[in-house]
Amino acid sequence: MRKMGYLSDKFSRTFTPFGILKNLFRKPMTLQFPYETLPPVEGYRGRHTIDLEKCDGCFICSMICPNKAIWPVEFNGRRYPQVDLGKCCWCQLCEEYCPNGAIKLTPHSMMVTMDKESAILGLGEEGFVPRHK
Amino acid sequence: MEEREIAFLTVPFGPQHPASGHFHALMKVDGETVLELEPHPGYLHRGFEKLMEYRIHPQNCVLADRLDILDPFPCELGYVNAVEKIAGLEVPKRGRYIRIIMTELGRILSHITWIGVLSMVLGFDSANKIAWGDREKIIRLNEMATGGRIYPCYLCVGGARRDISQEFVDETSKALDYLEGQLSFYDYFVFKNETFVMRMEKVGRMTAEEAIDLGATGPNLRACGIDYDVRKDEPYEVYPEVEFNVITREEGDAYARSLCRRYEIAESISIVRQLLNNLPDGAFRMELSPVWAAPEGESYFCLEAARGEKCFHVVSDGSPFPYRVKIRPPSLSHSLVQFPYLVKGSAIADVPAIYWSLDPGPADVDR
Amino acid sequence: MISNIESDLKSKFPDSLLNVASEDKRITLLVKKEELYQILSQLKDTGFNHFSDVSAVDYIADKEFELIYHLWSHREKIRAIVKVRIPREAPAVKSVFDLWTGAQIHEREDHELFGIDFEGNPNLSPLFLEDWEEIPPFRKDFDTRKYVKEKYYQEDEQYPIVKG
Repeated sequence: MRKMGYLSDKFSRTFTPFGILKNLFRKPMTLQFPYETLPPVEGYRGRHTIDLEKCDGCFICSMICPNKAIWPVEFNGRRYPQVDLGKCCWCQLCEEYCPNGAIKLTPHSMMVTMDKESAILGLGEEGFVPRHK
Repeated sequence: MEEREIAFLTVPFGPQHPASGHFHALMKVDGETVLELEPHPGYLHRGFEKLMEYRIHPQNCVLADRLDILDPFPCELGYVNAVEKIAGLEVPKRGRYIRIIMTELGRILSHITWIGVLSMVLGFDSANKIAWGDREKIIRLNEMATGGRIYPCYLCVGGARRDISQEFVDETSKALDYLEGQLSFYDYFVFKNETFVMRMEKVGRMTAEEAIDLGATGPNLRACGIDYDVRKDEPYEVYPEVEFNVITREEGDAYARSLCRRYEIAESISIVRQLLNNLPDGAFRMELSPVWAAPEGESYFCLEAARGEKCFHVVSDGSPFPYRVKIRPPSLSHSLVQFPYLVKGSAIADVPAIYWSLDPGPADVDR
Repeated sequence: MISNIESDLKSKFPDSLLNVASEDKRITLLVKKEELYQILSQLKDTGFNHFSDVSAVDYIADKEFELIYHLWSHREKIRAIVKVRIPREAPAVKSVFDLWTGAQIHEREDHELFGIDFEGNPNLSPLFLEDWEEIPPFRKDFDTRKYVKEKYYQEDEQYPIVKG
């Protein structure tokens, strides 16, 4: 009798036809990455952008950065911050303590490179573009 | 009779990431039985306690969640509370509620990650993939509130750095309903699965006296019958205002530890629901200058992380840099004291089951 | 509860206890190093059976280390903190490994990082660091940044001002 109870218990737990059919019509959880991706949430901590008009060269961002990733660069006779993305820990302290709101973090986070030099966001004619192009 | 020499085989366990985390151990093995195990930690040692003496408080808060990345909120919470205790700061009410909501969501995330990794190590890959899909719900909530998926960088001395929006509250309620449905699925699929039960029951058994002597805390100790939970015994933040149960079991083996963690997920879901219903309005942060210095003194603050009792001892000398920060990691005794003790005399196939049923965090051990 | 423990200790060790303070669920003792082991043993018999950790602070100006033991009692739900000062030259203390087995690993960590000798500990081999030849790294006279710059940076790798 115990064996019958054990077998019927196993049967009822294994044979769940509606459970299996439900899975046929469910969407998979995975996304095919380069073709579909999650929409970025606003406020996500990604790549930096610097507004050259608002920056006045106080370098509080450089002093507060925990990993010393922000250093000065000369451009048009003045000094602006440049960010080494290899050292940055994406903490947003530079944006929080900038008195003029010049350095901000955008939601752009898909950044890949093969050499360390190109990870330094430098200044160019167009404003704030990566050196490697 | 001629003399024969017997040599035992030495088998390494780890340090490849999927098998044992970043943790290496050498097992001395006689056939299928493990005679002795010698742990070699240190793959993730960064010297956190010394490095924190060179940085001011906002920088330390942001780097502190790398102390144990599977459960980052208690690391930040401990440092921030220890510093606030020295100065006697009063954090606004809404800030406290937000902190504990995110901490309990982090506890659910850590336990679901643990289900996934334990199943993978036992060879049960389907449960691993399903758990990884369920983690995504909480990681999206993290993203909405803090701006980062895994590294939150969220707390600061005096409150939280950002507020939570009404959209976050709605999404959290939906995610909690989904996770409650998933818990009954995990019961059927993992915790009552015959193979899982056979591999975990009566394996790695500890009595209550042994567990206390070896320094166990957290679900490992509660599975032996002792009800020690820092949230009930030395309450901090808003825990006196919520109701929850402390889960204990009697057997003390790997299966009891697994069930403790599974029921703790349900308790955390209920805590978050209570906090969201009573969320007060108002300020969420005290404004302090970045070079704010705590007065001279020291404090010792204990809290309950997902793995056990985590304590922060901060000594301040009146300057913006802390003089000494000491962190008591819960996993130090799990993987360096209890693991070699429980593995003696067991089969090699039981070693991953025992190791992951103790839920160690290798980053937590080394700091 | 706490007052019982306090009066008990004061009667048994009248000249070793320099300071006793107690608040809601904690009792803090400052003791002299001669009778440290006996005081800890007495606390264990009173019911403090959980050993949280032992930490060390380097007071280089006073030329002393301060060792702090944190204990917890499961029965009474009280925390005990025991502080002791030992001299910085040749620091050595008796190990409490035979009272609490879990204490051995914390003492091993303090030995490696501060250089404090715990007599009686069965295993004081290095735990985290390999092939370390300098002074114990968590002492205050070891400068981490200077060590990293000399050993790992080839030339001055900080970013000079670049003309862009």
